[in-house]
Amino acid sequence: MKSKWSLTTVLFILALLSVALAPSTGTGLAGSLPAYAWGMTGDTDLDPVEIIDRVDRLLRGDSSHARLEMTVVTEHWKRSLEMEIWSKGTDKALINILAPKKEEGTATLKVGRDIWNYLPKIDRTIRVPSSMMASSWMGSHFTNDDLVKDSLLAEDYDVEIVFDGIRDPEDGPVWELKLIPKPEAPVVWGSILIQVRQDDLMPIWGRYYDEDEVLKRTLTFHDFKTMGGRLVPSRLRLEPADEPDEYTEMVYHELTFEIDISDRKFSLSQLRR
Amino acid sequence: MLVVKLGWRNLWRNTRRSLITIAAVATAFFFLILLVGMTMGLKDQLLANGTSLMLGHVQLHHPDYLPDRGLYDTLGGRDGVDPALSGQLEEAFPHIQAAAPRVYGFALLSTGEHSAGAQLIGVDPENEPRVTTFLDTLHTGQPLSPQAEGGILLGEGLAEELKAEMGGEVAALTQAADGSLGNTLFIVRGILRSGLSHVDKTLAVVHFNDLQDLLVLPGERIHEIVLSLDDPMQADALRSRLNADSALPAQVEAASWGDLSPQLRDYLAMFESSYGFVIGLIAIFAALGILNTMLMAVFERSREIGTVTSLGMLPEQVLFSILAESFFLSLMGVAAGLGIGGWAMSHLSTSGLDLSRWMGEMSLMSTRMDPVVRFQWNWEMTFWAGFTLVAASVLAAAVPAFRAARLDPVKAMAAAKGV
Repeated sequence: MKSKWSLTTVLFILALLSVALAPSTGTGLAGSLPAYAWGMTGDTDLDPVEIIDRVDRLLRGDSSHARLEMTVVTEHWKRSLEMEIWSKGTDKALINILAPKKEEGTATLKVGRDIWNYLPKIDRTIRVPSSMMASSWMGSHFTNDDLVKDSLLAEDYDVEIVFDGIRDPEDGPVWELKLIPKPEAPVVWGSILIQVRQDDLMPIWGRYYDEDEVLKRTLTFHDFKTMGGRLVPSRLRLEPADEPDEYTEMVYHELTFEIDISDRKFSLSQLRR
Repeated sequence: MLVVKLGWRNLWRNTRRSLITIAAVATAFFFLILLVGMTMGLKDQLLANGTSLMLGHVQLHHPDYLPDRGLYDTLGGRDGVDPALSGQLEEAFPHIQAAAPRVYGFALLSTGEHSAGAQLIGVDPENEPRVTTFLDTLHTGQPLSPQAEGGILLGEGLAEELKAEMGGEVAALTQAADGSLGNTLFIVRGILRSGLSHVDKTLAVVHFNDLQDLLVLPGERIHEIVLSLDDPMQADALRSRLNADSALPAQVEAASWGDLSPQLRDYLAMFESSYGFVIGLIAIFAALGILNTMLMAVFERSREIGTVTSLGMLPEQVLFSILAESFFLSLMGVAAGLGIGGWAMSHLSTSGLDLSRWMGEMSLMSTRMDPVVRFQWNWEMTFWAGFTLVAASVLAAAVPAFRAARLDPVKAMAAAKGV
């Protein structure tokens, strides 16, 4: 069963991996959603799980290629990384750092729940142990865990529409979906709140709470544009709640979908280019 | 003077009984000496073990450094401190025996397939062994060389987890101070085995300059200076002096071992507070023995006391002669106890008492204890223990003494006649 959590997670992860962007696009969605679901506004009774289900299905089986810039701002430093991402399905991804010079060639490979980092300076591949999954990925505010989670987590949350109407006239009617983990679900968040535009199912923001209902981080989606034939948020910004002046922002420069990538692309030997 | 003489002489009228009582007091005091000696020995050992492995006696940090050990909270803040600070402190404060700088950094260590997160400790290989002993726990391999050359020492457990081999490479990956992905290769120079599993599973030691390179920290930015003192009990006083005197640069704060390990401080305090209780208890037993002896003595001498009183001896003279007798009795017991105790202590303080046959390997407060306890004199405690014994004895004798002083001569003589 697909829950709304899967939407957020998947959006978020796929966005990160550039897969997510593809599935959540309005055009793609519009084409594949049945007429009764599409174009529906707040006055219709739509099963929230069904929205997620549609989106979730779109997210699967995609392949993508993206070039993007990740900017990380912390209390102590600010830097930007130029990177290239290939993905296949939700379980395979390869990320190559293109700039700055110092880190050119640094690569991350994700296959299933495993992550390897390749470091050109020392010419070594390091597998990230499970104990480090909660640690930062490449110094950003994303964790390794964010990378390895795939849409299977969709099954971990119950979904409920907690708001249906207009918040910001610019966005048109929106839904706010609250995701509560099922009792046995192995998840890190206590709950997640997501706002989605009803017109094109574009996500506007996701707020992540811990077990005590304390906001931990906010992910916002901006600059919706058509890339690779789909409407996508081309800019994502993650802000940790406890460090108000810090954020990680990803801006997509290029994005293509449904490309033919060999599985061999996602192998350790390919890490060292 | 007469009463003292009288007391002394009376003591030897029943030599056997007096000797037995003296022996009892002597035994009590002997045990007190051993008990205090052992407690002192254990306490010293606990303190030495608790501080010598890694803690040291006083540590200097940035005020915000603990407990999170933030990468940026280096001594003196952003500007760092003069590398000569350690040496200056050693010279300026006579209690300080040695000082060593440290740098800390969390890193992902990997030999390829096997990876583990570890807190890297960057040390000065020349000065660190003057302060702590964890580098001496080298099980195999060589110590770090005095110059930074990319060597790493791993705790046994960590080496196992990484499947790292002597002479092999370990990649380290970390978030450097400038935001970049710090990475480097270390060569495994040695394996450390402290005997404490939680230490051996996490210990990863490199030269502090190597760690600064990895973390992109300039040479003057270090996280910690560890000091060792000639007397660990001076740590609190020194910490207060360092913090008050403006002896330290800005954004540098001293903490004593007691501040850093309050458990250890509490534990030692508990050891000390147990003295009074035990001394009091043993004193009560010794005093009961004296009470019994003196009651017997007074009872036996009723007739005699009646006679001397009727001949003109004052009641207080009777009283004091009996108190004097008890005083001599306990004093001789204490002296004898001191003699045997001293003899025993001279052995136990040098060769120590091996507890291993009763306890095996001991670990207390997560530090390993040497099963051989070296007893230590505590003169102050010994004096007070002896004093308490004598005082309790004299006090106990007051009961029969007052009774003797109040004896009606006529009745006393008559009663004695009947016996």
